[in-house]
Amino acid sequence: MDGKLVERARRELAGAEPQEILRWALERFQRIALSFSGAEDVVLVDMAVRIRPDVAVFSLDTGRLHPETYRFLERVREHYGIALEVLFPDAAEVEALVRERGLYSFYREGHKACCAVRKVAPLRRRLAGLDAWVTGQRRDQSPTRAAVPVVELDAAFSQPDRPLVKVNPLAEWSSAQVWAYIRAHDVPYNALHARGYVSIGCEPCTRPVLPHQHEREGRWWWEDAREKECGLHAGNLAANG
Amino acid sequence: MARVTMVKKVLADGRPCRKCAEVEARLRGEGLWSRIHRVVVADERDPEGEGWRLARRHGIATAPFFLVEDGDGTVRVYTAYLRLLREVLRPAAAVSALDLLEAHPELDFV
Repeated sequence: MDGKLVERARRELAGAEPQEILRWALERFQRIALSFSGAEDVVLVDMAVRIRPDVAVFSLDTGRLHPETYRFLERVREHYGIALEVLFPDAAEVEALVRERGLYSFYREGHKACCAVRKVAPLRRRLAGLDAWVTGQRRDQSPTRAAVPVVELDAAFSQPDRPLVKVNPLAEWSSAQVWAYIRAHDVPYNALHARGYVSIGCEPCTRPVLPHQHEREGRWWWEDAREKECGLHAGNLAANG
Repeated sequence: MARVTMVKKVLADGRPCRKCAEVEARLRGEGLWSRIHRVVVADERDPEGEGWRLARRHGIATAPFFLVEDGDGTVRVYTAYLRLLREVLRPAAAVSALDLLEAHPELDFV
């Protein structure tokens, strides 16, 4: 599928419900898998197994997840009767990371080096064998996702000779719609949600948020102030305080 | 060969900004520092300095950034290290997972 076909699919699926988008993707691609983070994107698993019961679902086990998330992954596996595939980072890479930087380097140096080893590298390995993947990305989750389309050519993982399609069925849904679906369909959910966690990632890098706080504030919160120091505009000048 | 200028930011206390320090460390670590022909500083204590002037001229709001001047005088501006790596410094090299994450912050929440 090339860029023009993706563009056409995007037009055809504009305004479609997540289930319609999922059906389109699962019927179109054989080598397709659903990425499940262990959070409220469980609604995609619920929707997908109704369309294709043997849908491929994978999760990234960084080695630093909450105990509640591990238990939830297992619960989802049993509840839906799926062969949930758990992906692990390369042991040698993790060992090198910890040897060189320690177990909590992300608090000092930022989270990206750790995420790259524990999350992005295993993800890239899994995606290398696919034509399409499904994510739970939503536009209301963070500023970096504000323009997420329902279908796109994956800019990060596509290769010049092998395009990869990324399908985001929940792109146009709000958090409230996701939770309405969870309640209406009695979908199991991660116990951390009941304790104020909205966005759920690794244990050291995730915290609960207060009502009306954006979910982004529950992830890598210590970095926000540091990001500002790299700005090149008048507000950053010492003379302006 | 293209001439590469790195514009990096220095904070009011004299330290480089975090991102600039990271990128410089990566350039050095990957043996690419010699490919940077010139380093210009945007110092918070000197808002009229060359680094700030270059940022204003090219409409750049974050540090570091790179100016790549081709033989014919054309200047290309790079704000993403990964793009500079792919297009200028090491076009044939495999992209690391960290480069991918730097270039695609939406991957944070996968």
